[in-house]
Amino acid sequence: MKRSEKFRQANREAKATVMATIAVIVFWTVAGFGLANCEMQILHTPIWIWMGCVGSWLFACLVAIYLANNVCKDINFDDEDEED
Amino acid sequence: MEFGKIANLWPLLLFLLCMMGASMWARKGLSKDKGFVNNYYIGGRDLGGFVLAMTTVATYSSVSTFVGGPGVAWSIGYGWLYMAIVQIVVIFLVLGVFGKKIALVSRKIDAVTIIDIIRSRYQSDTLANLSAFVIVLFFCSTMVAQFVGGAKLFEAVTGLSYTVGLTLFGVIVVFYTAIGGFKGVAITDALCAVAMFVGLGILFSSILNKAGGYEAIMQNLATNHPDMLEPLSRGKMPVSLYISQWLLVGVCTLSLPQSVVRCISSKDSQSIKRAMVVGTFVIGLMTLLATWIGVISKGVLTGPITQYGTADNITPKTIVSCMSPFWAGVTILGPVGATISTIDSLLLSASSSLIKDIYMHRCAKKGETLSESTIKKLSMGCTFVLGALVFAISLNPPSLIWQINMFAFGGLETAFFWVLIFGLFWHKANKTGALWAMAGGVAIYCITLALKIRFMNIHQILFGVVFSGILFLIGNKMGKDQDESVLRIFFPEKYEE
Repeated sequence: MKRSEKFRQANREAKATVMATIAVIVFWTVAGFGLANCEMQILHTPIWIWMGCVGSWLFACLVAIYLANNVCKDINFDDEDEED
Repeated sequence: MEFGKIANLWPLLLFLLCMMGASMWARKGLSKDKGFVNNYYIGGRDLGGFVLAMTTVATYSSVSTFVGGPGVAWSIGYGWLYMAIVQIVVIFLVLGVFGKKIALVSRKIDAVTIIDIIRSRYQSDTLANLSAFVIVLFFCSTMVAQFVGGAKLFEAVTGLSYTVGLTLFGVIVVFYTAIGGFKGVAITDALCAVAMFVGLGILFSSILNKAGGYEAIMQNLATNHPDMLEPLSRGKMPVSLYISQWLLVGVCTLSLPQSVVRCISSKDSQSIKRAMVVGTFVIGLMTLLATWIGVISKGVLTGPITQYGTADNITPKTIVSCMSPFWAGVTILGPVGATISTIDSLLLSASSSLIKDIYMHRCAKKGETLSESTIKKLSMGCTFVLGALVFAISLNPPSLIWQINMFAFGGLETAFFWVLIFGLFWHKANKTGALWAMAGGVAIYCITLALKIRFMNIHQILFGVVFSGILFLIGNKMGKDQDESVLRIFFPEKYEE
């Protein structure tokens, strides 16, 4: 891969990471504050606690897995040759 | 002090010996031809995914993960857990945004520190020196705070004196950091992260045992403290606090130099990918466990806060009240691990700023060449002396340290946020803008914090980041673009024919 292409790829990944962070913030807000008035409980613990805390964590893990598998591409960090 | 009731010290002594051994062992694997500086300060760019994840998490989670946070959760309830969990984004954020680009650039210019990258991007010694000053000042105050937090907890749990605790792990951490360098720090950090989980696991199950199970605690909370089950905690957790937390310990941690430097040390792009996933899983689980422990300890410590002193006493009181001395001795590995894994990374980074960024740069400018063995002596010596100094200050910290420390976390974020983001992603960013952003941003952050000026009650990091960004843009207009030879290294995609 040419050096310029590697940098383009790095820019794409950085943008995707920012979008992913926004997605986590949205999920966290909806799952926690959004469910704050829901009466449902699991183990005497309100559902907003499960969704907002444990759920957000699992969601963030899924987001990280998505970024790693679908967005990040393997590149060689060293210059392979001097063509560019 | 009653003998036999205190925590057993053997697990801790064994653990600290392991740290020494691991650090010694880590040195062996380094290849000589990469040069001492590369090996000592970034582990020869050889960190795999798992260790990279663990060292980033361990550096990030400090003694307050165990002491301050859970203590407040004890009085506030689940709102505090909901707020603490925002840290789930920090690992994939820093690795995803900076990981690849910094790895590419740092190999091209042979950068070992964040300041190397900043100096080379903006071609400014003033900016580099200012960065070094900010890093050394704030890192040292943070290290003192960590030492004090760790030693106080040691004192409360073991019944031995503060000085004994501090000396015990202080000497070990300074010694293994100075000798082992970055590779030693990374390996011991990974072990510390494991120790943290062991400590958290034992504490969690002991509390449940003592309090008669999770549901019993929850029923008690629902009857006696219903506010602890609400996100806003009947006004004790205003929305502005949540926003502050997202900025201060969420998004803005992106630019903390002690995290960003880990991008330089990654072995390859697979390591970064793996570290994103592992790191996010681990930091989330750790935050959940630690803060949840704070909430459920309400089932063990049922009295009002006045009975226990401050919130910082909650964790040690919980450990002492529901464990045998042996298990208390094992549990204390967690907070001690959290303390030393933060200190070792900060100590090494501060030392690299002094030796590599200031001293070696000055010598290179004068045309003096330093031999490999001189650099080795200087680097190790500097780490050792700096560590000894921080240790000595921690024995009896002056109030000035606490004043500086109050500004440290947000100050570091403000200083490097735009300088790194614009520097790496915007080719028009120039030296003048960066200088304005760093100097002006930190000044505004510190002044507003000192004067307690807030906008909509949101933490002053908001002022720091917003004004630092505005100052960057204004300053940028005054300055001129960096040389094309520099920009070609940082933005090759802009110079394709």
